[in-house]
Amino acid sequence: MANLTVRQFIEGKGRIDLQMRLLAGEGGLDKEIKYGETNRPGLALAGFFDHFAFDRIQIFGQGETAFMEQLTEEARLRVYEEFFSYDVLCCIFTHEYIPDSRFLDFADKRNIPVFLSKRTTTRFITLFVHIIDEMFSESVTLHATLVDVFGVGVLLTGKSGVGKSETALELIERGHRLVADDMVVVKKIDESLLMGASSELLKHHLEIRGLGIINVKEIFGIRSIRNRKRIEIVTVLEEWDSAKEYDRLGLDEDKYTILDLDVPVITIPVRPGRNIPVIVETAALNQRLKKTGINAARELDERIKKWIISEGGK
Amino acid sequence: MVEKEVVVNSDAGIHARPAMMIVREAMKYPCDITLIKDNVEADGKSIMSVLGLAIISGSRLVIRADGEGAPELVDYIIKLIENDFRI
Repeated sequence: MANLTVRQFIEGKGRIDLQMRLLAGEGGLDKEIKYGETNRPGLALAGFFDHFAFDRIQIFGQGETAFMEQLTEEARLRVYEEFFSYDVLCCIFTHEYIPDSRFLDFADKRNIPVFLSKRTTTRFITLFVHIIDEMFSESVTLHATLVDVFGVGVLLTGKSGVGKSETALELIERGHRLVADDMVVVKKIDESLLMGASSELLKHHLEIRGLGIINVKEIFGIRSIRNRKRIEIVTVLEEWDSAKEYDRLGLDEDKYTILDLDVPVITIPVRPGRNIPVIVETAALNQRLKKTGINAARELDERIKKWIISEGGK
Repeated sequence: MVEKEVVVNSDAGIHARPAMMIVREAMKYPCDITLIKDNVEADGKSIMSVLGLAIISGSRLVIRADGEGAPELVDYIIKLIENDFRI
């Protein structure tokens, strides 16, 4: 996990605009955000500082600000003094609320960044957690091609020259969408979600031996591409090896591990005359079917076992 | 396994043509070849992969090869880079 500072968070928030503006404490912008969680400082403001999670981002919503406003000048100052005696990471006031000048003076003195946001508290926290999760997520770059096939993210792997890009091209021709060719940046967004995307530089391009580099978006149009896709199945393309046993039943599910997460994998032997894109399409559909609880191999097996007991036993 | 480090000095970095020169040579060898920049690994036999590393002048590259012909291939690629792709 890379270090993330308050400044990097503000500058790199990406597509979602948290509508934040810095009010004070500019000197603390290079503080490191260590946790992806927020804290509502209500209890601290009421004087209870046990377990005060000062190293989280402090969110001041309408409740907190209303509480601060009804305090007497003297009580408020006491609270501020104690609050700012901690090395607070940063404070955010939602609903565009601007705290009093005393608060901002303290923040400047102690180098604690204070922001206001136009967002409501709940919305801000939801978006914040979403953004921070993605920023904190582990990432790896894989030599593979990622295609959205019938809404299933299929990662095509295999040695160079085995036909990953050609398979992707045929899939695009058949109406599926390219995410990344030959280099996929994978992020573990959540304990169960792997998101794949292209590097910004290579986006929407494909290299086909004999043709060279082509721009898929320009040739096939906007429907042929997508920017990111969850990886749900891995296919390993490999030269047909007659000595190797390939899965003939599909009863056992093999796993491919990416960033410590297991993804179902199928190995597809490549041989002239085998229509790989159709096999990949079918694998994607079969994966969808499995997700709805239908496992063809297992069900056929059950049927045969039943038949053996009832009919075969006679 | 052979692993060597090289600093890229060509002003234009590794754009399409130099990438092709690396890949074309790599394809002649049976061994696996990996180019590594800032912990990001690229397959030395894939143009897209090599281009995706965004190698610029000053980039530090690790060239790693494993298998038959690995030492020769690594040396050739390093020579290519050091001679500014004029061989």
